[in-house]
This record gives sequence, structure tokens and C-alpha cells, in this order.
Amino acid sequence: MLGYTGTLLRVNLTDNTIKKEPLNLEDAKNYIGARGLGTRYFMKEVDPKVEPFSPDNKLIFMTGPLTGTLATSSGRYEVIAKAPLTGTIGASNSGGHFGPELKYAGYDGIIFEGKSEKPVYLYINDDEVELRDAAHLWGKNVFETTDMLIEEAGEDAKVACIGPGGEKLVLFATVMNDRHRAAGRSGLGAVMGSKNLKAIVVKGSKSVEVAKPKEFLEICKKSRDMLKNHPVTGEGLPTYGTQILVNILNQSGGLPTRNWRDGGVFEYADETSGETLTEKYLVRNKGCFGCNIGCGRVTRIAEGKFKSFGEGPEYEAGWAFGADCGVRNLEAISKANFICNELGIDPITMGATIACAMEMYEKGILTSKELGRDLPFGDDEGIVEFTRMTGLREGFGDIMAMGSYRMAEHYGHPELSMTVKKQEMPAYDGRCLQGMGLEYATSNRGACHVRGYLTSPEILGIPEKLDPFVTDEKASWLKTFQDLTAVVDSAGICLFTTFGIGLPEISEMLRTATGIDLTDEEILQAGERIWNLEKLFNLEAGFTKADDKLPDRLLKEPMPSGPAKGLVTQLDTMLKEYYQIRGWDEEGVPTDEKLKILAIE
Amino acid sequence: MKVKYFAYIRNYTGTKEIEIDHCYTLKELLLKLCEKYGAKFRNKIFENNSLSDEIIILVNGRNIVHLQGLETLLNPEDEISIFPVVAGG
Repeated sequence: MLGYTGTLLRVNLTDNTIKKEPLNLEDAKNYIGARGLGTRYFMKEVDPKVEPFSPDNKLIFMTGPLTGTLATSSGRYEVIAKAPLTGTIGASNSGGHFGPELKYAGYDGIIFEGKSEKPVYLYINDDEVELRDAAHLWGKNVFETTDMLIEEAGEDAKVACIGPGGEKLVLFATVMNDRHRAAGRSGLGAVMGSKNLKAIVVKGSKSVEVAKPKEFLEICKKSRDMLKNHPVTGEGLPTYGTQILVNILNQSGGLPTRNWRDGGVFEYADETSGETLTEKYLVRNKGCFGCNIGCGRVTRIAEGKFKSFGEGPEYEAGWAFGADCGVRNLEAISKANFICNELGIDPITMGATIACAMEMYEKGILTSKELGRDLPFGDDEGIVEFTRMTGLREGFGDIMAMGSYRMAEHYGHPELSMTVKKQEMPAYDGRCLQGMGLEYATSNRGACHVRGYLTSPEILGIPEKLDPFVTDEKASWLKTFQDLTAVVDSAGICLFTTFGIGLPEISEMLRTATGIDLTDEEILQAGERIWNLEKLFNLEAGFTKADDKLPDRLLKEPMPSGPAKGLVTQLDTMLKEYYQIRGWDEEGVPTDEKLKILAIE
Repeated sequence: MKVKYFAYIRNYTGTKEIEIDHCYTLKELLLKLCEKYGAKFRNKIFENNSLSDEIIILVNGRNIVHLQGLETLLNPEDEISIFPVVAGG
């Protein structure tokens, strides 16, 4: 089997040992790579009841068979561990150049075990692999750490690291690579911090071989042409970035506003939009490894109190600090997002936690005495200040570092936290987009938009136009999207490619790269296998049907205004159908028959 | 009636939004807008007299695909939004 390097690194941080071992090819065939294969390894080796910050929790970095190849947008890799924010399986995907470089060094992935006594980083230069002292890096932010390590290792080195957020166990800390790219959700950076592992530096000089080079090149070229000629991937995303979504979600009445309290319409949305970002602050767009979309934003706030330079904000981050906090100042939103990258924390959970605190402040549950200052909705300086304080766990930031659920619960008002399985819902209101409501309730890593992105058919009309208000067929669509996304994440290419290409192209890239002769249907079934495996982890970790729910605000408080006025998420109907379509019992447990079909032991 | 433009549609209209006299159907409105903004705009909106696949039109927040398409009836107080297909997330 090609596409894979065939070798894994196993690094025990407790006893400082490093082993190279052959990749389990049978598992690779069944679980593809990256998210799927990493989860398979994790499930075999770790008790689902493990405490996330225990040395027994492992931390896996895994690439896919297409990572680092000529496949389109193939810069992706996955980080897997039990997640501290949610207690679910944690799997976060990132782009940039780190994943490909790991393969060029000769490794499909790295399994970290145990906990180091003192701060260390892993240095990889092809066959030379060693743990090095990181005392001089501890306390440094993501950019400082990356610069210092590149200074030490050379310009061509690629770095993945944590910032102060990960070191200080902020429950939504990120793993950052190539400075601005994030394995962002569920707090896997804090798992890395709990192991005293500051960074991984990698340099590689090898190549990735594919099984059928001629056919592989043909399908890669075809895929790239399709992306280039598609209006979304060829024009919209390169020009405006993901923030282009602000206005269409707002006009549709699906942009959650002021901690989801208002009607899915933010009156200042256009001031925070991709159009405004492009007009006023964009320096240039930027692509990850092998990407011809280039949705990344290099942005500069040239002057004023939010003067700064960095990348982003992406749509979700822009929404969290913008509409969700009622903030109309794009300069403050950008600055808060830059700080998240600098300190290594997830801007979705960060912004949504501040939004929750703003509502608690408005209701008198939190006072300026506790917060150290006022925090009304719309406070542009507030989002910047509390983001910084949270990343460093200073003042009230120490409470916010637990995320909105634990913060709101601490003060007796968990109902004000807009979370599922303790993870903050992102930027699509499930009362307007019924299918996204179901996605949040069923996502295996807590509320998430990139497990089954039904916004695409419900609002953007891709690949078909589904009415967002209607619940019919959403369960079936969601299953297909979730399974296909698991394939994409596991293959090592970017989910955004699916705006322009589909299962036939992705399957053909996988077949010709690996030489594994599977049909499109069998490859999609591998996605379903991965989804069920993740579900089994969560069930064994103690999650039940009662956790597949949404905040009462979506279920009991009808949308107060806007195009979706009067609607709630009709979760019960969709969830029942979803379990049936998945071949799970009424409690949401995969049946023996389903597990047999999927050949999950 | 208010008509709002987004993303690169603004390049064809030179403005973010306009107030316009009442049109009875969406088709009537679009033809009037094509007259106002010219061939480039028209070529983006229509493809062989049908609405282009590359355009999304909302009337009061509802995609016209889920209303009556080009035959959707309009009221004087309606808000119409015109987008190119976009995505992100």
C-alpha cells in the first residue's frame, strides 16, 4: 500500500523513549488515515474513561494517505486525544505545511504517551528523532516559539506547538502549526500542555510514493480544474475568504446574535463581513500546502488602538467575537482573533464564552466587581481584553478558561451556555437551519459545524438546494455529509474541496494513491465506520441519548424576529429518524447488526 | 422596495443597496435591474433566460427556490438580497 510512509513514531514522554513501528496496514485500509486511523489507534490503546489530563491519555498526530501528495489541498493532518472541554473523543484537523513535512520525514504519524517531567519538544530530521529540553520555550507565545525553533532548526523546518493557553490548560487550547493554522476545537492543545510537550519540529527530505502515478496525476489535475472553475472555490473563497458567509447567513436570519438571544439577524453584520474585511484590511490571500483555493486571509489593522497584523478572522471566529458578542468593530474582532492564534486558544469557544458572560453581566449574574470591569454586549475593548486574560489565565480569564458551560454552571445558570456536550455551537442558528441543529446535537465531538456541514445545502445551495426551515430528509442528508466528511478528514485533504469535487473524485484519488481497490460506496462506508467508532468511544466514555440535545434556547425559545421568526429546532423528530437511518437503536446505540456490517470489532 | 447586493455583485452595481419602485414579480424586478446595470450584470444573473446557477436571491430572507422562483410575487415593503454563490465555514 502506498500513499502511506508505513512508519509511525511512538514517543513515551514518561521514560523518554522513542520507537519506530510499522503502520498497521489492515487498520489503514479500513480507517483510511488521519482522523479515522488515529481514532482507531486511540480506541485500541486508551480506556475511554481516562481523565483527559492523565498521563494515560494519549495524544496522536496522524496524516492521511493523500497528505503531502499532489492531491488538491493536501496539507491536512489530525490531532486526536480524549478532549478536555467535552470528555468526548477529540479530533481536530489542521492545514498549513506541518502534515506534509511529517510525511517527508518518513512518518505517517506520532503517538505520544505518558507525561514528561519537564518541558520538552520533539525534534525530527528524517531518521534523527529526539526529545529536547524546552525550558527556554515555556511561557513563549505561538509566534515566539515558532520563530525560536526555526532559528534553531533552520528555515525549512515546520513547527507545531502550543502557546500559553495549552501550557496553562485552558480547556479550549489549540495545537497551532505554521504560526496561524490550528487544530482548533475541544482543547487538544491543553492535552499537549498537560504532557509538558511544547512543540514538534520537523524537517523531511523524502518523498511520498503513490501506487498509480499516471492515473493519480490525471485525477488530481481533473480535481484542480474543477475547483478552479467552480465559482465558490475559484472565485468566492479566494477573493473574500470564509467571512463572505456573514451577510448571507444574516440575510437568511441564521446568524446567531448576542448569545443567540436575538433573532438571527445582526444589524451591523455588513460592517463585520468578508466584503468589509477585503475592502479595508486584506493584505493578500494565502493557501495551505498544495492548495489552489487560497481562502486564508493575511490582514493588517494599520493604526489605532487595535493595530495589529496576522491571519483571519475566519467566519466562525469573526462571528463569535462579532455578532455573538454584539460587536460591530471589525478591527477589535480581528485583534481578538490574532490574540487567540498568538496564545493558542480556540476563537469560537473564546468568543462564545465572552458572549455568555455578556448576557450574564446584563442579567446581573456577573458583576463588574467579579469581572474587574463592565462587560456589556458590544464592548469591543472587552473582547480583546478578556481574550488576552483567558489565554494567560489572569483575573476572570481564569474562570473563562473553563469555557462557557462550566462558567455559567458555576454561577447557577448553565442554561445561558450555548453548548452541546459542553462545546460552544458555531455560527449557524439551528432554529433557522434545522439540519445544522441536528448536526450540533449528534456531532461526536460536541457542537461542531465541520462534521456534517448542512449549511451547504440549506443556505448555499450546494450540491442541492434544501429549504432550511424544513426537517424532512435532513437526517438522511446529515448522515451522508457526516460519513463523507469523515472520509475527507481521514484522507488528508481539505473539507473545502467538497464545494467543488465529490465522492467520485476523492475516491479515485484514494484508489490511485494507495492502490487499495475499493469502490466509491466502500470508501463512503469507511466514513460510516469511522463515525460509528467515534460514537462507540463516546458511549463507553459515558455519554447517552440524553447528551444528544441542544440548549433549551433553541428548543423552547422561538426565534424572536427575522426571517425565521417563531421557529424552534424540531430536534425530537429529526433525531429519531437520524438514529433509524444510522442503524442505531432508540437510545442511539449502534446495533450489533450495524457493527457487523461495518466490521467493527 | 429595497434591493441589497453582496460580494462581487457590488462590482456590477457600484452600490450596496437601492430603493426601487414596486415591481409585481421578481422577474420584473430583475429585468428592470438588468436595464439599469447593463450586460455584465445581466450575464451574471441570467443564463438562457433562467436564473443562473451562480446566483442566490432571497426575498425577505427566503431563497426564491423555496418560494415561486422568478414568478415570486413582491410587495412594496419587501427586501430582496442578491448574492453570488458563496461558501466557507
